[in-house]
Amino acid sequence: MAAIFNLNHHAGYVHWHFIDLSVPNVLVIVIMLVVFAAAILIPFPKPTGSGGA
Amino acid sequence: MSTSAERSWTVRLRKRAVAALPPEKLLPDGQPTYVASWIYVFGVLSLSALAALIMTGSILALKGPSWWHFSSTGHFFNSLHLWSVELFFFFMVIHLWGKYWMAAWRGGRVRVWITGAVTFLVAVPCALTGYVSQQNFDSQWISTQAKDAMNSVGIGSFFNLMNFGQMYSYHVFLLPLAVTGLVIAHILLVRRHGVVPPFELEDRLKAARAGATDGASS
Repeated sequence: MAAIFNLNHHAGYVHWHFIDLSVPNVLVIVIMLVVFAAAILIPFPKPTGSGGA
Repeated sequence: MSTSAERSWTVRLRKRAVAALPPEKLLPDGQPTYVASWIYVFGVLSLSALAALIMTGSILALKGPSWWHFSSTGHFFNSLHLWSVELFFFFMVIHLWGKYWMAAWRGGRVRVWITGAVTFLVAVPCALTGYVSQQNFDSQWISTQAKDAMNSVGIGSFFNLMNFGQMYSYHVFLLPLAVTGLVIAHILLVRRHGVVPPFELEDRLKAARAGATDGASS
């Protein structure tokens, strides 16, 4: 079965002054920031029924 | 209770443990309403990833490198272990960000914060020793690079990255033991002190307590 992403090559890199990060690491950091923002902004579902704490 | 029983170290330890963490605090049946937010979920997600890490790591340790490199089931468990650690750090860092911006050391929770921060610091070498325990060319490359880092800061004689036995012992025993012990201490401290309230609620609680004290003294 073919892989969805071909990882059989060197990763690309992002260079900016002293910052030197691989593209996969940049992606993970961006996803973490998005998830962090979403966790703060998205309302938590209210408990259903009368027995909720 | 007789005097001899009161002098027993087990009785004194039990009394201290129950006083510090009564059963209703250790295993509560509810949480404050402010905990109903997604940002409070990342601590338990980190715990779930840690449980998956320990389970998959135990299976890998039982079966050995030839299994995780050359069988499809071994590859599967190797991948589960890798993705568990990816998720563990993903969730733990978001948990850390959330608690930092909440100033979660407020209200006598300094030890909760410190045990969490130290867990993160100990988990980093725990993961890095995993990279050099893979038994492949990748681990050889990483260990030769990392040994230069150790030598450059003068600790190469204590941590030999080229010594598989030493790194494997650190990875499967010493560091996981430290991480697990710190996590248990962290959870018990969270149970003891409770989840940190939002800033505005803490101000109202302080004002209410001050009002109650004034009322009692007048």
